[in-house]
Amino acid sequence: MSEKARAVVDTNVLLNLATPVVDGRPKAPTGADPLKALLTAYDVHIPASVLGELGEATGNGDLLSAAADLVLQATQHLTTHDVDERHDDPLGYGLDRGESEGIWLANELAADLFITDEFSTTNYLFVALALDDRNTLFTTPYVLCTLATHRILPTEYVAAALSYYVETKSWDAGYVAQLRQQYLVD
Amino acid sequence: MAEEKTRVDFNAPKSLVERADSVVEILDISRTRLLIDALEDELEELANDTEFRRRLGDAYYQGRVDYETVEAILGREEAMRMKLLRSSIDRTPAEPRLGDGPPSDEAFYDGDVPEWRDEESNA
Repeated sequence: MSEKARAVVDTNVLLNLATPVVDGRPKAPTGADPLKALLTAYDVHIPASVLGELGEATGNGDLLSAAADLVLQATQHLTTHDVDERHDDPLGYGLDRGESEGIWLANELAADLFITDEFSTTNYLFVALALDDRNTLFTTPYVLCTLATHRILPTEYVAAALSYYVETKSWDAGYVAQLRQQYLVD
Repeated sequence: MAEEKTRVDFNAPKSLVERADSVVEILDISRTRLLIDALEDELEELANDTEFRRRLGDAYYQGRVDYETVEAILGREEAMRMKLLRSSIDRTPAEPRLGDGPPSDEAFYDGDVPEWRDEESNA
């Protein structure tokens, strides 16, 4: 375990990675599991508040709820930190509790990666500002591309998943197109 | 502080210019004022248009327009966001390592993998 790079993620990253796995509709990509890929390829850490946010997302019978159920079934592969007592100064900006505590945790652990989906809004600026100035801030689509270039996920799967996310989430299509061009095309 | 001005000449359909001149007369403003107002309105509308923002973003990520242009049209926060994102594309994350290969779903998940279906699409 110790040789794996340490990553801190927020709630949305886990939910987004689980979504295509549980989505049984034809438009969802099939044949791989990006949640399992992330949790086995990196040593993933979360603040305990992420578990609370996942719990709140369950029980509605919708796609998000199914995704939250799957993440909760994988929590033995996550290292959870209780940051409540040590973190009593919320970062504010437009960031929610899970995101704020995740950034705090990433700085505290000197994590190799902080992965976020907050890149389509100016929240990304606040995340970048709040993280210590290291080579740490990465987005979910970027990490998916990295998992493809290291042959942990099939390139075709990641290409299909990026299209799926751009269609179903409000992801910055221009940025995703650049990632696709740089990392998924030989 | 008055901004420096530049002279612009262009050809336009005669009927359009005539319509503009009628409006100018009624509003009692100059033809130049009307043109500047119309251009400003159009640029503001475009800045809020999703499709235009996407195209501007593509152009910026591909290096066809510079930071200053994005900032002038979309504002500083949005331009800063795109600048940070563009520079992050060339960053290299810590390497992922799989070890012994991916575990089976049974070994990995505590329970069966749920499958969600849209009830309407099954109907």
